Amino acid sequence: MSSTAKLEPQEPIGAYAAERPLIELRNVSKTFGSVKALSDLEVAIQPGELVTVVGPSGCGKSTLFNILAGLEEPDPGNILRLKGKSSSASDLLGKVSFMPQRDLLLPWRNVIDNAILALEVEGMSRTEARKQAREMLPEFGLAGFEAQYPNQLSGGMRQRVALMRTFLFKRDLMLLDEPFGALDALTRTMMQRWLLDVWQKHKRTVLFITHDVDEAIFLGDRVLVMTARPGKVKLEQVVDLPRPRKADIVTSSEFIALKKTLLEAIEEESMKSFQVSGH
Amino acid sequence: MMVSMNSETSRQIARGIAGALLLAAIWELSARGLKLPAYVLPSVSSILSGMVSDAGNLFAAAQFTAAEALAGYAVGCLIGMAAAVLITMIPAARAVVLPLATAINSVPVVAYSPLVLLWFGMGMASKIVMVAIAVSFTIFLSTIAGLDRVDRRSVDLIRSFGASRLAVLWRLRLPTALPLIIAGMRVSTVRSVLVAIVTEMLGAYGGLGWVIYQAVLQIDFVKVWAAIIVASAISLAFFGAISFIERRYVFWK
Repeated sequence: MSSTAKLEPQEPIGAYAAERPLIELRNVSKTFGSVKALSDLEVAIQPGELVTVVGPSGCGKSTLFNILAGLEEPDPGNILRLKGKSSSASDLLGKVSFMPQRDLLLPWRNVIDNAILALEVEGMSRTEARKQAREMLPEFGLAGFEAQYPNQLSGGMRQRVALMRTFLFKRDLMLLDEPFGALDALTRTMMQRWLLDVWQKHKRTVLFITHDVDEAIFLGDRVLVMTARPGKVKLEQVVDLPRPRKADIVTSSEFIALKKTLLEAIEEESMKSFQVSGH
Repeated sequence: MMVSMNSETSRQIARGIAGALLLAAIWELSARGLKLPAYVLPSVSSILSGMVSDAGNLFAAAQFTAAEALAGYAVGCLIGMAAAVLITMIPAARAVVLPLATAINSVPVVAYSPLVLLWFGMGMASKIVMVAIAVSFTIFLSTIAGLDRVDRRSVDLIRSFGASRLAVLWRLRLPTALPLIIAGMRVSTVRSVLVAIVTEMLGAYGGLGWVIYQAVLQIDFVKVWAAIIVASAISLAFFGAISFIERRYVFWK
């Protein structure tokens, strides 16, 4: 399917402003009954970028993800372009690798068979899919665990299986919805560093939702701060910290400065959403 | 994991056998000690010797009943599951069919037996139909409940991989439903033997229910008890077989 159109090599990764985006949303709104979840949202993501999204809870981050995953159609009048081609949201079904907040592993499938779920749906033979997955096990820290069932795994491992399932479904855009939200702080920082390693090796385009500002800066090329409902992009902050990023970068003055800017923006929006729900 | 399950199962079986032996001993002692007449309670030894002397007849009747129960069970399971899947795929039909099914299921199935005997005759067909009715409703309702258990977010996830409705059903909904479907199947085993026997008692040319009915007419209570014991043995074996499959293949949940 979309795997035929690979990244064009002449497009330098990271020069986001001038290039043709991998995916582009213009004027996207979404209304549920009387609730306006998104309003005139504008997002463009360049190939190979890792963009993080933060915002107050209920700001429509998940709605944005559901639209990008093809699960939800935005209100009419929107512009949605995949590689410059105008599409409706449902065209995106099967074109984006989507990882929801919960790992949603299937209890009757072992690690390997959970990881190949998307490949099986695509129609790949089990033998071939398992072969591909087996090669990836060590990189995801799951070597030796392929025959285990989800109820035998720790939270961090379950999340890695879910990530592996997302990575194996080779699509140009990966959507990660708070993948580490449920993990303890220590496991989370480990997983963030590990994700950066894997991302740099595989060079995928990633949109990453999080509640955690540190996480957003540590991972992202850019951080998008969303407004309170109806959600739109309030602030687009470029993170020009050098890569590869080490764990101690979070204490650098550049990091702190970025964090301050972002926290102020989020604070402002959080106050607004409290006032809205308060009256 | 498997090993501990098996030792647990064998311990349960051992306990069951011990209980049955104890019951038989108390039964034998009280029947003999109190000199109970056979129409109240024949002794275990007399029932056992009756079973041995009438083994050929009882075996034939048991085969007859087991065949009816099994055939009806298989048909009922297939119909119940197929109907549940259809209803789930066509939400509009659900609002009509589900209350109707619940209403029909709340009347004891045996109430339909005179009609079924009239329509399908006294032979095996009417018993198979009765068992199929009884089983299909149970399986239908448990399959519906199982299919409904699916997590909306899991459906979204698998749809985002490009799965069709059929793929969602096959890879997600049916496996999610399986624990409840098989629980319904386990309960239905006993029900299928019971319905077959009761229908035989109302009109048949063979089977354990027919043997019981004839024996009552002949005031042969040893034979009644012999047939009852054979019937419970069939039920237990059937129940045990499905429980074994359940534990073996539905290891999650």
